Amino acid sequence: MRFLMFVLDDPDLAGTADANAVPWVEEAKQRRLEGDRLRPVGDATTVWPKDGGGTFVSDGPFAETKEQICGYDILECADLDEAVELAAKHPMAKLGAIELRPVWQ
Amino acid sequence: MRYMLMITDDGAERLSPAEIDATPEFTAWLRDVESRGASRVGTLLRPPAEAVTVRVRAGRTLRSDGPFAETKEHVAGVEIVECADLDEAIAIAAAHPAAGRHPIEIRPFWPFEEE
Repeated sequence: MRFLMFVLDDPDLAGTADANAVPWVEEAKQRRLEGDRLRPVGDATTVWPKDGGGTFVSDGPFAETKEQICGYDILECADLDEAVELAAKHPMAKLGAIELRPVWQ
Repeated sequence: MRYMLMITDDGAERLSPAEIDATPEFTAWLRDVESRGASRVGTLLRPPAEAVTVRVRAGRTLRSDGPFAETKEHVAGVEIVECADLDEAIAIAAAHPAAGRHPIEIRPFWPFEEE
């Protein structure tokens, strides 16, 4: 099963654990197909629907949330339980959250 | 430059990947991306009801069903776009068939080798 994993950062927990993801990438090995870091929400731009049709653009994310998406990984795991186990080992599970989403193939 | 386009929806209507591929609007968007000399890789996600969120607190793994936050819209799919600059990423997002219905958030990549 393939999963897209959103890596989320909780600013209130910054510095409370080691954020280095290199050991996790080693652990995930070939189960991690790709992944990268994204610029912080301060650098987000959103294209919004406009009343009456069309779009307009504004700075900032589509939703104001405490935890914020700061990266992603694509995983290929046997099942959801294996993906949860792997996600729990990611350093940001302690410093924020990991949202696992099955890919619609 | 590389950008992630987070295509959101409110979960009301979902088309399967095959249905999306078959819509003329989506095909036209693919042609538009290609004509710019840009490229994209898309990933459609199963509905948010199938999301699982994992947090580790005080050494315990907390697993909850659903997305990380209760928001009006959720990410329905992502497009990873390689294009000239943010202006072009905005143009590509605004031309996406989902634009004008729900927000599309654009986030620049931040590779680990860049500080």
